[in-house]
Amino acid sequence: MLMNEAHEGDIVRHTHDTTEEGDMIMSEKKKQSVGSLLVGKWDTKTVVGIAIGAALFGVLMNFGGIRIFTNTSLTTAMIVDVIVGALFGPLPAAVAAFFGNVISDLIGGWGFWFDWSIGNAVLAFFVGLLPLYGAKINDGVFTTKQAVIYAVTVIVGNLIAFGVVTPLLTYLFYSQELTITWGQAWAAVIGNASVQIIIGIPLLFLLAKRNARSTNLSQED
Amino acid sequence: MNTKRLFINVKPGKTFLDRLTGKTKVRLFLILILLLIQTWDIRLILPLLLLFITALISLKPDWKKVWGVLGFIILVNLFNLFLMWLVEPDYGLGVVGGSTVLARLSRFYIITAETMWYFFVRFTKFMATFILSLVFISSITPSEMAAGLYSIKIPYKICTIVSLAFRYIPDITRDFHNIKISIQARGMELDSKKTGLITRLKQNVLILAPLIITSFDRVGNIANAMDLRGFGKGKKRTYYSEHEDTDGDRILRPVILILVVVFVVFVVRGFIHPPVYQVWCPWIS
Repeated sequence: MLMNEAHEGDIVRHTHDTTEEGDMIMSEKKKQSVGSLLVGKWDTKTVVGIAIGAALFGVLMNFGGIRIFTNTSLTTAMIVDVIVGALFGPLPAAVAAFFGNVISDLIGGWGFWFDWSIGNAVLAFFVGLLPLYGAKINDGVFTTKQAVIYAVTVIVGNLIAFGVVTPLLTYLFYSQELTITWGQAWAAVIGNASVQIIIGIPLLFLLAKRNARSTNLSQED
Repeated sequence: MNTKRLFINVKPGKTFLDRLTGKTKVRLFLILILLLIQTWDIRLILPLLLLFITALISLKPDWKKVWGVLGFIILVNLFNLFLMWLVEPDYGLGVVGGSTVLARLSRFYIITAETMWYFFVRFTKFMATFILSLVFISSITPSEMAAGLYSIKIPYKICTIVSLAFRYIPDITRDFHNIKISIQARGMELDSKKTGLITRLKQNVLILAPLIITSFDRVGNIANAMDLRGFGKGKKRTYYSEHEDTDGDRILRPVILILVVVFVVFVVRGFIHPPVYQVWCPWIS
């Protein structure tokens, strides 16, 4: 997590720059199958992390946003996808975003839009792919190259989530005219992608730096 | 918008709705929400709205809080409708099926009776949805919610996620406001009337970093406490908050069944005979 590891990290700090050890751990981590990386590890910490993520999403969606279009706002809630994805993986991020959106609908009073909740879950899944291309925020690994890949996945994820999935579901669920949905979708794609890139990348570097001290330690289960 | 906006209870209350089991509350809420989402028929929405208002009154809520929230929601919804009208003034043509012009402001901006009717239905629908959510949130505790979700065969880890998220919303909202106030105390202007869009965005980001750190710092503590109590060891679990059925539960069980049947009939009918126009209107058809 964000804390705790620092204590042990301090003691063995002198081996911090030994690249061999770092590489060894990297290759060990790579052995984890793609499937398990996608699903994430569903232990108690993950469950609590997702819950806190969903609560944070709900609160930020309601208070931390600036309205730019009907039912669409430039909201910092989108950062929750990034954090939960970085710490726990894509599926936990998707679950957190889905329930976060349902909760924000519940307390926000603009009606229930499950099409958007599912869209947000799809987006969070893409954003949360971080561990798959080697960005291990927990171990302090986040390079410029990974930041570029991250930016690309964010844009692709937003396009798929709100350009394809949400309009399709809106049509299926509500058989509603899509004019306004398209407007909302474009506002959401541009708004979310810019929030996730402009705020997300510095935040990921920050978190990685915060955890970097423990690069040469691996956690025992 | 203050911290009192949220109504999440931790202790169960004493009214009829409060005393129901979590199972009944969650099932009833889910089926009513599904029914409300799929319908655009005012003949169904209006009675439901009246029913939900009665339910809200029966809960004896703090009316000052309720009016505060309702006022805000009404404004937001009206504003949304206005934006919809700005984008497409003749919206009613597609969904209601007519375009009786009442007033013409310019070549593009017209006010039609059908659009207004659609807006009225939409507004009623969202108010009904909101009051239902309000009744649901104020009558359920996070633990009952987990028990209710578990009773409809949702894996208990997901149930725990939902109930924990509900449990922590008031805490996180409080942190959010505390951080906002402390930032303001250092001389930052957060009033939306006095600052521009870019500054406000920057300030939202300033709140974000401490909020994320304080929120996720909790994770370790909560997870340890849950691990110590053996969370996640068994395949099944039971809930302390789930008590035996009361009379109310026994009465509501057939009601829920009937609602499920009504919902299925509506959906199937919608598939077999899709209505030409989505919204029923008294002076058309």
